[in-house]
Amino acid sequence: MTAIRKPFVLGFVLSMLIMLIAACSSGNNGNSEGNASSGEKPAESNQASETPAEPVEITWWNFPNYQPLDGEVGKYEKEIIAAFNQQYPDIKVNLEMITFDGGPEKLNIAISTNSAPDLIYDAPGRIIDWAKKDLLAPLDDMVTDEVRSDISEALWKQSMVGGKTYMYPINTAPFMMAVNKTVFEKMGKLDLLPLDRPDRTWTFEEYKTALQAVKDNAPDVIPSGFFAKSQAGDQGTRGYITNLGVSRFLNEDYSAVAINTDQAAAALDWIVQAQKDGLIVNGSASLAASDVNDLFLQGKLAFTINYSAVLKAQNKTLKKAEFEEVLLPFPTLDGSEPKLEPYLGGMAIFNNKDEAKIAAAKKLIDFIANDPEWGKKNLIQTGGLSARNSITGLYEDEDYKYSELARKFITDPPTIADGYAEIRTYWFPELQRALLGAATGKEALDAFAEKANEAISKAKAAQ
Amino acid sequence: MLSPALRTKRYIWRDWLMSYLFLLPALGFFLLFVAYPMLKGIYISFFNHTLNQFEFVGLDNYKFLFHDETFIKSMRNTVLIVLIAVPIVIAFSVFVAMTIYKKSEWLRSLFRGIFYLPAVSSVVSITVVWASIYDPNFGILNYITSFFGMDPIAWLGDPDTALYAIILVLITTSVGQPIILYVASLGNIPASYIEAAQIDRANSGQIFRKIIWPMLMPTNLYIIVITTINSFQVFAIIQLLTSGGPMYETSTVMYGVYEKAFVLGNFGLASAMGVLLAIVIGVISMIQFKFLGSDVEY
Repeated sequence: MTAIRKPFVLGFVLSMLIMLIAACSSGNNGNSEGNASSGEKPAESNQASETPAEPVEITWWNFPNYQPLDGEVGKYEKEIIAAFNQQYPDIKVNLEMITFDGGPEKLNIAISTNSAPDLIYDAPGRIIDWAKKDLLAPLDDMVTDEVRSDISEALWKQSMVGGKTYMYPINTAPFMMAVNKTVFEKMGKLDLLPLDRPDRTWTFEEYKTALQAVKDNAPDVIPSGFFAKSQAGDQGTRGYITNLGVSRFLNEDYSAVAINTDQAAAALDWIVQAQKDGLIVNGSASLAASDVNDLFLQGKLAFTINYSAVLKAQNKTLKKAEFEEVLLPFPTLDGSEPKLEPYLGGMAIFNNKDEAKIAAAKKLIDFIANDPEWGKKNLIQTGGLSARNSITGLYEDEDYKYSELARKFITDPPTIADGYAEIRTYWFPELQRALLGAATGKEALDAFAEKANEAISKAKAAQ
Repeated sequence: MLSPALRTKRYIWRDWLMSYLFLLPALGFFLLFVAYPMLKGIYISFFNHTLNQFEFVGLDNYKFLFHDETFIKSMRNTVLIVLIAVPIVIAFSVFVAMTIYKKSEWLRSLFRGIFYLPAVSSVVSITVVWASIYDPNFGILNYITSFFGMDPIAWLGDPDTALYAIILVLITTSVGQPIILYVASLGNIPASYIEAAQIDRANSGQIFRKIIWPMLMPTNLYIIVITTINSFQVFAIIQLLTSGGPMYETSTVMYGVYEKAFVLGNFGLASAMGVLLAIVIGVISMIQFKFLGSDVEY
């Protein structure tokens, strides 16, 4: 029996292996056929652009950039698509909503397995990284001169690589702090906040006084938030420390870290001490940006350090306590003007080697950003300001008016630096080291600078 | 007319073919979704495979890992988790099983249900509950410790406590199945063995060491191997509670694989980490089989 079995077992296993290899290689063939056909697709696409009736199907992956309609995530996007299809009935748009938590990972997998979506609405941090890796289609042909001149240089800088536009900027808002104004009203200390100043700028000392007042007069409220659990929301900790220490995060040509100054180190040391003194939330090394904002929305925190007009709009339904929140810029050591990193949202197209799809995706971007009826409506649904300077007055709210004013404080963020994705992985562990007393502020910032500079050099060399 | 020998041969062949045909679906899935990804992972580990690159680098990924402080720390944490969690899970499960297996059926079911609940609940839900328990500002654990005059502790933010806080959550989610299995195994030990020992005036410690424990060996082997592998692969708890922090003190190899592959898009390095982890798990499992499997009779 063994004699019978052995050859059969061997034969069976071999045939299974052959089947498997065949399946895999047929998959590869499928891919290469796909590539081949996509190689031929430009011809088809040319045909498609000549004969617009040719149906095209595109996939749009979207983070929850729009506030949910009737509490349903993705419902507003479906309305956009329905309106778009009235103008372009031959372009079928498949929408897939992704989350801020798992979406980036899902995108990385999709890209590495050649199944990236055609269209994405995201921010420069990821989009510019993809552009540098030559994964995106340039959008210059759809940017009109009017649009080009209507958007600030700082925002274009975040949307371009090597002189080509890869992200179509749509909505923006400066990242800043927010304060629970009601806490200060109840304490009778509203005068400690810079709300009577038109640009609301204030100094580090004034901020410290405000924190102390909360500690002394509102025992149930934690004066301020800080977080270092993960990289999410790191623009908040960057903005906080760079302004308290009047420093830049990276130097002006993004070639090296610039935050390891004595002043920024002193600011970080102060944060560590403030945590011990109860002026800053306990356990910040294990808190995420969302944890801190949750505390703020529950009315348990007087100041949160990662907020914007967009976040304020998105958090409306998450508010667990009745209070008035007001946007504030980060205080600066010397009272100089703050430097605020902007939130910038925009759309990009993955170069899936199909010109027809790229052309269709551009039409959808143009519709979302510039349609006379839907363009403005879409902006309001994001809760953000327009990336275009000429489109203002979208909201009646005082904080939006302030956000528009605060655009003058917008600075160039590090998100477009070479190796940014790696740089940010070194930031929060060094903050943790400082917060846990394993390093001084200077040691932590120097260690971050060393690793981040190496990442920048490595990324530059890989180009 | 076929000769009887040929008929038997045909019958055996048909029987053999039918058996493998029934195995085919499972084998197909195994080859496609387990064996192929595993082999592909080994293959990728020799490449610099990022979002836009795929170049052969030989053993560079492995060389990098052996000099990478974060990876070494992650491996140390992983081993520490296994060394602490596995004995505690085994000891606690045996203790609970010994305590409840002689109780009434109703009480036994109740305890089995209670301890098995975390095993059938979502790890995410359990972890979210633990996150609120450990909360440094409003968590119930700090509320309890405050009665003893203790200052609030950042359980997940302090390098001295974070890993142990993770291990505690891991233990609570790991004891359910072992308790069920031990209770079942204890029920299968013939009462006559224990009665005979009692007649010979053996005390309860001797009965446990000489009769119960050896009789539990098949169950022990299975539970130890499975718990070891699960502990090596702990991921969701870490991702949700600490993201590997503070200062990589709770980072494990599995978490590192996720971070390198899905956050940084470095699939080559992540695959190399996965291969090294698989080797470690394989070696430890072999050792466990060698030392624990010798007394096992099936």
